[in-house]
Amino acid sequence: MLSVLIFGPLLAGLAVFLLRDGRQAKTLALVLAALMVVWTGVVLRRFDVMATGMQLTELVPWLPNLGLNYDLGCDGLSVSLLALNSLITWIVVYSTPATVARPRLYYGLVLWVSGGLAGAFAAQNALLFVLFYELELIPVYFLIAIWGGARKQYAALKFLLYTAVSGILLLGGILALGWLSGQADFAYEHIRATVAGLPVAVQGTLLLTLLLGFGIKTPLVPLHTWLPDAYVEASPPIAILLGGILAKLGTYGLVRFGVQLFPELWQQWSLGLALWGTAGVLFGALAAIAQKDIKRMVAYSSIGHMGYVMLGCATATPLSLVGAISQMVSHGVILAILFHLVGVIEAKVGTRELDVLNGLMNPLRGLPTVSALLVLGGMASAGIPGMMGFVAEFLVFQGSYQVFPLFTLLCVLGTGLTAVYFVILLNRTCFGKLDNRTAYYPPVWAAEKIPALVLAGLILFLGIQPRWLVQWSEQTAQNLALTTVAVAPPISELLPK
Amino acid sequence: MTATLEPRTKLPPSQHELAEIVHRLEAGGAMVPDTPENLMQIVGIWYAYAVPMDFYWRDLLYIAEQVFLHPLAFHKFFISEEYLNRHNHYAGDDADLRIWRGEATAHPELVKFIRRGETLPMPRWLHHLWHDRINMEFAEECMRAMLWHRGMGGQFDPYLDSEEYKQNADRAIRAYFRGNPIMLGLYRLFPEMFLEQCRQASYYANLGLFWEVMAPVFFEIHDRYLEGSITTVKDAMNFIVKGIFAVAGRPIYHHVYIRGECYEVIPKAKGFMWLYEAALPYVEAVFYRTSPFRGTKSYNAQAGMVPDKQEDFHYGVLYADKFPVGTAGIPPTLLAQDMFHFLPDYLRDYYRRHCRGEADMLVQLAISFQRSMYCVTSAVFHALREALLYPLDDPNPRHLLANRRFFEAQLDRFCRPEYGIREAARIRHIQSPDYR
Repeated sequence: MLSVLIFGPLLAGLAVFLLRDGRQAKTLALVLAALMVVWTGVVLRRFDVMATGMQLTELVPWLPNLGLNYDLGCDGLSVSLLALNSLITWIVVYSTPATVARPRLYYGLVLWVSGGLAGAFAAQNALLFVLFYELELIPVYFLIAIWGGARKQYAALKFLLYTAVSGILLLGGILALGWLSGQADFAYEHIRATVAGLPVAVQGTLLLTLLLGFGIKTPLVPLHTWLPDAYVEASPPIAILLGGILAKLGTYGLVRFGVQLFPELWQQWSLGLALWGTAGVLFGALAAIAQKDIKRMVAYSSIGHMGYVMLGCATATPLSLVGAISQMVSHGVILAILFHLVGVIEAKVGTRELDVLNGLMNPLRGLPTVSALLVLGGMASAGIPGMMGFVAEFLVFQGSYQVFPLFTLLCVLGTGLTAVYFVILLNRTCFGKLDNRTAYYPPVWAAEKIPALVLAGLILFLGIQPRWLVQWSEQTAQNLALTTVAVAPPISELLPK
Repeated sequence: MTATLEPRTKLPPSQHELAEIVHRLEAGGAMVPDTPENLMQIVGIWYAYAVPMDFYWRDLLYIAEQVFLHPLAFHKFFISEEYLNRHNHYAGDDADLRIWRGEATAHPELVKFIRRGETLPMPRWLHHLWHDRINMEFAEECMRAMLWHRGMGGQFDPYLDSEEYKQNADRAIRAYFRGNPIMLGLYRLFPEMFLEQCRQASYYANLGLFWEVMAPVFFEIHDRYLEGSITTVKDAMNFIVKGIFAVAGRPIYHHVYIRGECYEVIPKAKGFMWLYEAALPYVEAVFYRTSPFRGTKSYNAQAGMVPDKQEDFHYGVLYADKFPVGTAGIPPTLLAQDMFHFLPDYLRDYYRRHCRGEADMLVQLAISFQRSMYCVTSAVFHALREALLYPLDDPNPRHLLANRRFFEAQLDRFCRPEYGIREAARIRHIQSPDYR
């Protein structure tokens, strides 16, 4: 069942690549990506939200001598990200302009990345995870380097170097983990069972290695410097792929490898990890405020939002973990709508500069629907109630406040700063007077609005009906939780006596 | 492509920053470049403007003469059949001066629109509420601009403050509210308020009488364009100049009809003339000044965005930013809506081929309207020059220089940097066909 989500896109990518007529590439890719969405629906239907442990497992011995088996399964964490992966892949394929150069290669690479990501999310063998993790590296490099913006080579190379270092750290850490644990294979459950027996110093070294590896991928401050360049230079659909789902490999790894494999050490380090996440939230928000390029602003907002995930993971209460997993999904959807809309604005207006953009809300000559959806995306990102961003952030805060009240309050401040930069973005971009000299933008066709409308619908639906967002991960979070605190201390206790 | 008429004069080139336009005016041209595309836009939009204008002038006179000071004038836009069939003095067989060869009663397209609207057959008040109607808000905004600015020259406006006018108005007000002790009591308490309402009604009449002339002028220009006898912007402009002189002496007055009796609030005998008491104040108030439109932009008076002096206002059609059209029911939007109903097919096809076609036709036609009003303003320049100065082909260089000074002084109004007018005036924009 899960194999379809992995090999479906891989084979689809191959089929697209082997097409004779490049003009049919998008149609085929779109149909196949849509089939993956449908199949994800089947997976979700089969997934029992009340069950504990891995579900829909598949195990095929592959290279047992190396400890590498084709071992798949999914829990609430995996299934949420698998669903996000299918949706984002369809959005990426759909929102790519029909005129994209070298379409067979482009769509083939996109689908391969999707397949690799599905494999990483579904893998229950650490070595298999690394293989899938590395599988997306070169396709993404090409997706940035070939179809990117003016500084695409620089951005692609930077992404490649950072991600390669991340991969090496992960590979080294996981190999060491497997070997030191003395297990015959790299299955998560086997590794987890023996990690606790390792010396604390060894555990610490391994966790730090993995943290750095996943921290680069997420990215966490100060390992983030590849992100703004990669997101800004990548074409909008690839930016959606990068921010919407690829970055979730990092946060997925934090939970799967950090919380799950090193529970005791994770708990000991949780204060520092929470501080790390909080610093990311504040840095991301402040850096976003300083930007003049709306795409770069959205990119920095991504860094800030990853901080919420880190805070939720660091706290590791059932609620905060549900919040962290929900935040991964919600961030993927919200970032996708924002990058899509930024891409439409750039395509129609010809600039992303805040100082140039103005008056796009104009009903006749502006981009009113795009502007309205941008307002919605900004509100969702800022955690306005009624949207899925609020649900995720609220759960993280509610779950974390019990353990790290100060960091939680600082992160709440971060959401305020998020509102600040989105108000700046929306005020300058959508409102004001349309300039007479430049107000001859082409219209936005209905087909160009569909991805944003789909995502906006999802944002509102999951904001109003959050059960559909959180139910998948509740049981998993309960199992993974390291801390349980029943009642939050009153704020008065935090104040100086 | 911008067509430039060569100056006929022997004067050295103008040093004015709008020298090209000065030279074009000296050659008898308009501020708008003389191109077939511009002519088509100007003439077409004049037609689309003239049809609702045929309603505006009738309703303005209906309000001035019949509705007058009705405190709850909900019915003022539901014009009576009498006024719909009222004969225009400049069209039809019985015209005082036949400018348009068409009918004297309301234009057939207008009558059809008023009877049926463009939605479903339903009572007229439902058409009104659904905005399936001619919007009088634009006409009233123009009237209020004239009333509010006042003091723009002529004898009509000072007369509104004269004792004679006050006595005439007093008679009309007392007659209108005869048998209504509440309103008469209020009149005793607040006489100035009633008098100000009467002055407003006088401006309703003033504008109604002004537009009664302009509607047949625009209809006739359009007909001649279709016949092929008007082939250039200059031809169209000159037709207006001739029309201005032909009707310059038309009396401007305000009569009120109360219970079948006529009260002359401003008698015809005062000799107020159409050109000086209606046309020029209208151009000054509506083309140049008006007031900041609500709903499109926040004007910050403290930041100097609103001039201290009313004569320095520059929010008229020659400066208006047409891009916000479509937002918050402001008068220009409503005018654009009115014109939209009556666009000639050739103009509609033209708009479909540019920018966003159907989607932003309101903006495109509003910009055509702006172009056309620069043409009308050019006609006013030439009319004033003919009345006050010298012929364009005058052999005396000093006379030609005086003409040039006049044109330059007129164009200076688009170049004043102190209120950002240099950027606000659209005269530079309309030189390019790409301004749509």
